[in-house]
Amino acid sequence: MRTTLGLVACACVAACSSSSGKHETVLTFSGSALGAEGTLVAKQLKRFMQLNPDIRVELQRTPDDASQRHQLYVQWLNARVGNPSILQLDVVWTPEFGAAGWVLPLEKYGPAKSEFFPATMAANTWAGKLYALPWFADVGLLYRRTDLVPREPQTLEELVSDAQRTKAQRGGPRYGLVSQGARYEGLITGFVEYLGAFGGRIIDDSGEVVVNRPEAVRALEFMRDELYKWNVVPLDVLTWHEEEARFAFQNANSVFMRNWPYAVGAMSDTTQSKVIGKFAVSPMPKSGTAANGHSTAALGGAQLAINAYTEFPDAAYKLIAYLTAPEQMLERARAVGQYPTRPGLYDDPRLRGAINVPLENARRAIESATPRPVTPIYTELSEILQIELHRALVRQAEPRQALDEAAARINALIERTGMRKLMRGAA
Amino acid sequence: MKKISRLGAEARLGWALVAPALAVIALIAIFPLGWTFWESLHLHELRMPWLGKPFIGLANYAEIARDPRFWAALGHTAFFTVVSISLELLIGLFLALAMNRVFRGRGFVRAAVLVPWAIPTVVAALLWRFIFESQGGILNAMLVNIGALKAPMVWFIEAKTAWVPVILADVWKTTPFVALLLLAGLQNIDLSLYEAAAVDGANAWWQLRHITLPLLKPAILVTLIFRTLDGFRVFDLIYVLTGGGPGTSTEPVALYTFNALLQNLRFGYGSALSVVIFAITFALALFYVRGLGVRLGGEE
Repeated sequence: MRTTLGLVACACVAACSSSSGKHETVLTFSGSALGAEGTLVAKQLKRFMQLNPDIRVELQRTPDDASQRHQLYVQWLNARVGNPSILQLDVVWTPEFGAAGWVLPLEKYGPAKSEFFPATMAANTWAGKLYALPWFADVGLLYRRTDLVPREPQTLEELVSDAQRTKAQRGGPRYGLVSQGARYEGLITGFVEYLGAFGGRIIDDSGEVVVNRPEAVRALEFMRDELYKWNVVPLDVLTWHEEEARFAFQNANSVFMRNWPYAVGAMSDTTQSKVIGKFAVSPMPKSGTAANGHSTAALGGAQLAINAYTEFPDAAYKLIAYLTAPEQMLERARAVGQYPTRPGLYDDPRLRGAINVPLENARRAIESATPRPVTPIYTELSEILQIELHRALVRQAEPRQALDEAAARINALIERTGMRKLMRGAA
Repeated sequence: MKKISRLGAEARLGWALVAPALAVIALIAIFPLGWTFWESLHLHELRMPWLGKPFIGLANYAEIARDPRFWAALGHTAFFTVVSISLELLIGLFLALAMNRVFRGRGFVRAAVLVPWAIPTVVAALLWRFIFESQGGILNAMLVNIGALKAPMVWFIEAKTAWVPVILADVWKTTPFVALLLLAGLQNIDLSLYEAAAVDGANAWWQLRHITLPLLKPAILVTLIFRTLDGFRVFDLIYVLTGGGPGTSTEPVALYTFNALLQNLRFGYGSALSVVIFAITFALALFYVRGLGVRLGGEE
């Protein structure tokens, strides 16, 4: 009888303490609970809890769609909600969340900045402070049909002539190059790659808008000429997102494709792909005509940051450090094929089987990765650019005129939001 | 004296009885509207807490007035509303006249006509998107087959052609609704009028012009008011079909507002846009009711 009572008392104590939450550290992790990704996250969180018995981690399901997740986060943070304690940020959100004071700077925890790719550090830094650690990296890749074009094109001009020549051959694919040209964020990532190839920028290091400089105009003219002059990119692309491009390439309808690493999986799937063993990936090449041009890949991927309103920032950092540690990154690469953000791992033989492309090519792509403008007003800046780029590509406006308009509107945005002052304060 | 106080008591009872309904209206219509208006007088950007939430008077409205994208969106909305409603009224009237005749299977036809109206707008829009898709879209395949086109064309990258699926989809979906409203009006017309006219030697055209249309006017005006207000708030159809593109060539005001409010989280400016849309639709409704004498109630 006495033992039973004792057990009941124990159970009560345990239940009470966990529900009050005062005596126990409870973290909430925001993420997907679906598919292989869900299984992986659950497994890693469980292991973390075994290593840290004093911390409990709960998974809070948030939408997989980035803009929906963003909207939810912003609403919660405006209401100063401390959950989820660890936020999963898209690479372009970190400055916005940092400037708003919604996520905590990480310097006091001494993160090993030099162990990550420099571009991923730059993307997560605002006003000199690091606000998030990169969980995995996404990079724009050029997919090429190796049976049709054995040699990797060294310049954009070579890419175009390869595409033209191959397309014209008897039985050649219908398209030269497919990519993402609809009016959405994907259009910006593509533009950033051409921009870098011609040596242009959107905003320079001093915070000046330079998206209408000659290099940028040339980059946009090149994109337009691919559509209308050289006919290597089909006009359909102007309504396409990632998946339409992937379908075209995996059905052997295109010589080249610009897409993210995720497509490698489907392309190697015997049930749907017609190009198994006939493709390779490399970074997008630079232009052969621009002096300052360099091979550029748009940087994407997910970052982990600490919610500024959480009760347990120290425990939250512990979890972030755990999830971004080499072991977990390797496991993630093996389970869902996402690229580690640590250059060191690209020498690790364990990564070789995990991602279906030669490590050397993956590393070169990540090393050429360039963040999109690192600014708290990125989303609105992107919207302006999406509209103006699309206008130029559907020939509603000349590239020069569209970029002038974009620059004027981005400058107005900077004024309206007080960014100029904020940037001076930041520098 | 006694009579007056009894009237007063009755009036009081009347007010007491409608009070719950008035309270609900105040809660779900007037309060949010007032709140939105109050919000529209502030600079409130959810993404930029460093700006605070200062009161800025009518500055948001001034920004709207200067914003070319808003004026363009207003133009697109008006264009969409006028073109689609004209087509819907014409085809709807034709359908209603046909359905008003006595023929075998009339009940079946009336039910079948409603099918497009019953399909959710987003689904209908996706359907039309697939039809107009450049690769593998059935329309392009047909046009190429009969030789009208040399190669499949991309409908969504030119403003002129992007409007085609948008307007077709709206006409396809909403004409049945218009037809049924007009049919209800037709059934209220006394058949003896036609008999008398026929006896006097009036032909079908004369009957249509001098009996059917004048007596159908109330039904036409009710249809117009419903459809104009719907047309002005068009959102889901265009969101799915063109996303407002190419560029912003098919963007209606509701989509622009959604964008400002829920994508960019500019609560102040977005609220001001909402208030402007409300004011425009309200003015249109007033114009119809007062100006054209549409009777929404039963009193004749």
